[in-house]
Amino acid sequence: MKVSLFITCLCDAFYPRVGEAMVRLLARHGIRTDFPSAQTCCGQSAFNSGYWEEARAAARTLLDAFADSDFVVSPSGSCVHMLHRYRELFRGDPSAQAKAEELCGKTYEFSQFFVDVLGIDDLGAKFPHKVTYHPSCHGSRLLGVRDEPERLLRNVAGLELVPLPYAEDCCGFGGTFSVKMSDISGAMVAEKAEHVLETEAEVLTGSDMGCLMNIGGHLRHRGRPLRVLHLAELLYEGVSGA
Amino acid sequence: MADEAYREWLAGLDAESRRRQQAFLDALAAKLGRPRVTEPPPHPFRGAPDFWKEYELSPEERIERFIANFRASGGHAFRVSGLAEAARFIADKALELGVPAVIRQDEPVLAGLGLESLLPGVEVRVWNEDPAEDWIARAAGAGMGVVLADFAVAHTASIVTLSARGKGRSVSLLPPALAAVIPAGRLFTRLGEVLSRFDETGREGLPAGVHFISGPSRSADIENDLTIGVHGPGIVYALIVDA
Amino acid sequence: MSGSETAAKTVKERAKEALRNDFLRQAVRFTTDRLRNARLQAAGEQGNWEAWRERGRQIRSHTIAHLDYYLNRFAENARANGAHVHFAESAEEAVRIVLAIAERKGARMVAKSKSMVTEELHLNRALENIGVKPVETDLGEYIVQLAGETPSHLIIPSIHKNRRQTADLLSKEAGEELPTDTPALAAFVRRRMREVFLAADIGMTGCNFAIAETGSIVVFENEGNARMVSTLPKTQITLMGMERIIPTWADLEVMATLLPRSATGQRLTVYMSGISGPRRPGDGDGPEELHIVIVDNGRSLQLGDPEFQELLNCIRCGACLNVCPVYRHIGGHAYGGTYTGPIGAVLKPAFRKNVAEWDDVADASSLCGACAEACPVKIPLHDMLVALRRRKVEAGRAKRPEALAMRAYAAVMGSAGRLKGALRLGRLAVKPIARDGFIRARIGPLAGWTRHRVFPAPAAEPFRERWTGLRLELEREPAAMDPAVRRRLEEALRRRQAEKREGGDERHGG
Repeated sequence: MKVSLFITCLCDAFYPRVGEAMVRLLARHGIRTDFPSAQTCCGQSAFNSGYWEEARAAARTLLDAFADSDFVVSPSGSCVHMLHRYRELFRGDPSAQAKAEELCGKTYEFSQFFVDVLGIDDLGAKFPHKVTYHPSCHGSRLLGVRDEPERLLRNVAGLELVPLPYAEDCCGFGGTFSVKMSDISGAMVAEKAEHVLETEAEVLTGSDMGCLMNIGGHLRHRGRPLRVLHLAELLYEGVSGA
Repeated sequence: MADEAYREWLAGLDAESRRRQQAFLDALAAKLGRPRVTEPPPHPFRGAPDFWKEYELSPEERIERFIANFRASGGHAFRVSGLAEAARFIADKALELGVPAVIRQDEPVLAGLGLESLLPGVEVRVWNEDPAEDWIARAAGAGMGVVLADFAVAHTASIVTLSARGKGRSVSLLPPALAAVIPAGRLFTRLGEVLSRFDETGREGLPAGVHFISGPSRSADIENDLTIGVHGPGIVYALIVDA
Repeated sequence: MSGSETAAKTVKERAKEALRNDFLRQAVRFTTDRLRNARLQAAGEQGNWEAWRERGRQIRSHTIAHLDYYLNRFAENARANGAHVHFAESAEEAVRIVLAIAERKGARMVAKSKSMVTEELHLNRALENIGVKPVETDLGEYIVQLAGETPSHLIIPSIHKNRRQTADLLSKEAGEELPTDTPALAAFVRRRMREVFLAADIGMTGCNFAIAETGSIVVFENEGNARMVSTLPKTQITLMGMERIIPTWADLEVMATLLPRSATGQRLTVYMSGISGPRRPGDGDGPEELHIVIVDNGRSLQLGDPEFQELLNCIRCGACLNVCPVYRHIGGHAYGGTYTGPIGAVLKPAFRKNVAEWDDVADASSLCGACAEACPVKIPLHDMLVALRRRKVEAGRAKRPEALAMRAYAAVMGSAGRLKGALRLGRLAVKPIARDGFIRARIGPLAGWTRHRVFPAPAAEPFRERWTGLRLELEREPAAMDPAVRRRLEEALRRRQAEKREGGDERHGG
């Protein structure tokens, strides 16, 4: 049984600790993982900006890297959802489309893999803090991972989950959107941060580092550096007593 | 306007439209990548989903639902035991509102209300009873319009009126208050029960105006603040009459 | 959408202005919040909402796929009802037809009810140019007309105006100071519009749906002004986008279930009127003459285009605006077109055949997908925005720095070896500007980001370099797998393989 890590370029370069937390949580349940090092990036930022040729260059690395994996697990619902766009991306290339189809069928977002595939929604974690959860748009709305993260959080001992007002509203990240339309994006993240602060939570968690980098970066910019943790990091901290 | 010249001009316009129509539709078919479709295409998705077509309330439930929903839309809805009670209700409201005139549709049921005798000091007019008169002005000057619903729908709390010679659209539109008499037997559960009748009647059976009225005229265009009676009647009474 | 609509500025610039307008943002937030909550509640009360959406999509897609048939049918039936039907391929053509009728009638005043198509045609300006006074009679449209503006929302045209601004506009028109309370302002408009309805030579309406089988036009409204303009003036002109067609009255039940609930959360708008031809012999009211102008103006460009044909399914409810986080912050005018919000961001470039004029409107979305989720006929607006961006790039109209950056991206991401090198370089490059793990400097392409946020410095050791050590560490003390977990894993794998053999594609999510 080959379970592979699709680490995402963002976690690879900026948040390796997220990938590490995920790997360690899986290992605690006896899941051995491997990291096919040919992977680079899902291609989403190029795809969404309209540069499909460039997106294909990145996407092909994933088709190759995971060709012989049985399962692929990723800490990003957004990047996993991007795989579901490969059918369009590789229009006119049936062999790549077939590989993409296969890849979609075996790739899961982190919480989805634990809850829906492994059937584990209680990791035995303890985290005595007030926490709020931001459901990222792509993971929840497009990929359809809605309940899984919350189930994992509800089973964490001592954790007080505070609902985030306007949780389903986009944080304004949107990949290149945050740079191209920086003022609109800035207004969106400012409102999101307001809602996060309203909850008086000590920790903000989520399932996509893009959004968390955005919200967390804004909070720090405003001098309100709340702890921002990926769900995997939070859970790992909760089981390791770190 | 020289009528003859105008009609000629209009005929020219129509002829031009017919010519243009063919080119216009041919272009659409070409864009769709196929020849023109001239036979009715199979339309497997017609109307509401099947589960909805099975939805039916009992007569009692329909009345309750209509009243609750009509009130929720800001209208006044009541159940009355018969036409006499409906007549008294309408007369009382007309007096309460101090209306100078009432205009009603030319319907035998409404004539049977006897509003003329119940409202001796109020002018009660019947739409279009004398084609020489300016009936739009009459309706605009009336304080209350009285209509007989052709149909009603419980789910959306709608009164349906069809236009006809004696049933001006203005009666339900121009006066600031409207009273609609709804025979309970004309009250259906779903919108589709009424709408599909128009399919069955077909084009030839349709009047110029079919109007679904589901409460008082309203607008929320000023700071999302709901205000009623902007253009149409701000007060609407729906009286469901048993029997 | 005529070519005269010159976007002097970009969406980005207009958005910047809007973002400085606190009132605008507060007003838009307030109203869209209410509308979206109302929609959710109404959809919930109706129940089985997904089934209704799917049926709505099916009916709309079916009609659009057979548009030539249904339009022909509609035109023939409308003529049989006594209406005069006109076909206009372009905005100019539609305007020409309307002006010709107005001139022939010697019209001085046109009373209009809400019609986005007439906005699209800039019909008011054209009427004014020949000395005909167009009067918008919908309260919100009237406010916007007095302000010399265009609607900023599909359903609530004056969403961006507050009570004070509205009172000022109406007071100026009244020639006296009006109180700012809503009933007083509405009462003034009621009085003023009564005169307009009775005096207008022509009543002009839009058309929410047109029923092919009976040649009827259907108008949804709450105020009663559309009924007025289709009841009182002697001549009625209805402008309809050519895609407004549905086959039958039975199909109208689906649209009537979706449209009001999605727009304002109502079970039905106060008035839903089906108009089949001019007044009948003996009728005491209703127009003596009814003209229906069927407008293409770029719509047909979507036909046969697999990425955009569904755009014609739109029923103009505005639900996508009310959930859009971008619209929420910048309002409608920043989009720079007749149609605003996510639907406007797609309609404008799509109807204009994706020409250069449309500037950056398709970029004004974070692609969060809230629009598609709210859409009552399931139009994948966020996918269409991506397709527009792609077409722009394919047509070679992308900005050069961006194109270069993307080329570099492809070079790096096309090979793990190059990515590894780039990560190393990146760490060195940001070293001088990073402080406690964050970059705050507003330089280069990062400036847009760092104006509102700090940017993380790359990790000292990327995951790919950390991996070998991590793997070795974990392999030293492997944990046992719960047999139940193993069974589930194996079961999932077997299921997938079985489905693959059957040719089905297993898809979770997406």
